[in-house]
Amino acid sequence: MPAESAPILAVSSVSKRFGGLLALDTVSFEVQPKEIFSVIGPNGAGKTTLFSCLVGAVHPTTGSVRFRGEELSGLRNDQIVTRGLVRTHQIVKPFRDMTVADNIRVGVLYGRLRLRGSKARERVDEVLGRTQLVHRAQAKAGVLSIGELKRLEIARALATGPEVLCLDEVMGGLNPAEIQQAMVLVRALRDSGLTILMIEHHVHAVAGLSDRLVVLNFGKKIAEGRPGEVLRDPAVVAAYLGDETKEEARA
Amino acid sequence: MMALLRRHPALLPGLVFSAVLLLAPTFAERGTQNDLWNMAFFVVLAAAWNLLGGFAGQVSLGYSAFVGIGAYTTVLLAQAGWSPWLTLPVGAALAAAFSVVVGLPTFRLRGPYFTIATIGVGEAVRVIASGLDFTGGSSGLRMPAGTFDFTANYYAMVGLALGTLALVAWLQQNAFGLALEAIRQDIDGAEALGVNSTWVKLEAHAISSALVAVAGGLFATNFQYISPGSVFDFRLSLTIVLMPIVGGMGTLAGPVVGAMLFSYLQIKLLASPTLRDSYLFIYGGLLIVVMLFEPRGIMGLWERLWSRLPRRRTPAIAEARGAG
Repeated sequence: MPAESAPILAVSSVSKRFGGLLALDTVSFEVQPKEIFSVIGPNGAGKTTLFSCLVGAVHPTTGSVRFRGEELSGLRNDQIVTRGLVRTHQIVKPFRDMTVADNIRVGVLYGRLRLRGSKARERVDEVLGRTQLVHRAQAKAGVLSIGELKRLEIARALATGPEVLCLDEVMGGLNPAEIQQAMVLVRALRDSGLTILMIEHHVHAVAGLSDRLVVLNFGKKIAEGRPGEVLRDPAVVAAYLGDETKEEARA
Repeated sequence: MMALLRRHPALLPGLVFSAVLLLAPTFAERGTQNDLWNMAFFVVLAAAWNLLGGFAGQVSLGYSAFVGIGAYTTVLLAQAGWSPWLTLPVGAALAAAFSVVVGLPTFRLRGPYFTIATIGVGEAVRVIASGLDFTGGSSGLRMPAGTFDFTANYYAMVGLALGTLALVAWLQQNAFGLALEAIRQDIDGAEALGVNSTWVKLEAHAISSALVAVAGGLFATNFQYISPGSVFDFRLSLTIVLMPIVGGMGTLAGPVVGAMLFSYLQIKLLASPTLRDSYLFIYGGLLIVVMLFEPRGIMGLWERLWSRLPRRRTPAIAEARGAG
């Protein structure tokens, strides 16, 4: 990954305050095209809030997000989606009374591609195929298993035709075989030209997939780099496993 | 032909319904034609409301405002010498414009807060119409002489009702209908897939309010006299909402079934000296029964009974239904 190429996504000094809680504290990083870039950190570190800020589901209190050079602040979620920056949700949000195919169709019809007619049908079929949901196409989303729901969540985001796809814990709750499948899918998506941002707790998946990653703790970036270096960083290990001296000081 | 009917189970009842309405002037007496006119009027109101309230789940209790805008536009322009027919598109355009003015602030509200805001809008319009001079204040306005033609008005109202149903059926099947459905099920989820929810709601509101205003204009020509108490009445707004809810929200046939039921009820109740003052009580009771036992209305009940009918079914379909 040539570091000098223009970043597809540039996050600079993004902060988000919810009342008295500073959920994100001046977080900055840049993501290169076709990178698999992970965001990790303990629970409550601000990872999901960061994703929400990127796509405009919530607006950062201060700071800026630039996507392909364009400033995104002030744009609504749907406007950012139609520009090609899409996220999935950790807590899956399908339209439960719609079929799987119709769930995907919403993204195909209204996302960045806005396809109609036979092109839209082809795209729905293509997404069903890539996420291995063909056999469930006509099932109501409300009856899917958790593994299928996670794939549908990816499928819905993929349907919109993103250039940057933000995956929020798509491997949470999956069994080892399903995690293996999900890793294959993520790699295939990148190989097809997408840039992937992912929040993931699975160290094996993070280490195996990520080109680079950032670590958040209490809303602050505490490390950034390649997985081999970052995952051995004492500050990162302390954030995950707890630093005894700090715990004592707080108690 | 049989295959077509089997694929579209609504086609046969739809054709019968259309034929009865269109042919009624050739065989039915005038009193029956009046009742059918009233039913067609209710079908327009219920089916148009259902576009926003049923499909998109945005329950508005202010739709009498659009009936009134259509009715007042027709009477005021007719008094200025316009042909009543030419006033209809003007009323529709004014209602659509007003729906955008109302929608821009109120569509930011979610759930019951939107509904409460629409009650305020409907009442505000009624109070304003009662207070202004050019609307005739609370005593209302009369159509100029020579504008009454029942048969023409009947065909126009029936045509509007069938046209509204055809439009809703078409919208239901294309991208717009899917966006409304997505908004109803999860508005944040719809936006996360690129749906501009405010814009889609504004479009649905404008289309449905324009249709309702045309019905209001025809109402004015048919009754020759309007007042804030007749066209801006909150009880009218309430009836507009109850018809699709009782019939089955978010379905094509639900508002039609609701309109049939309520126009029949209204005729029976208004004719009875003991019941005419208590009809809201009966409507309320009906609403409670529907909410408690079949929130999907009469169409939901029908589907449930239909699926229980003993008949040949492939195991796969039976299984899918059992799971769903």
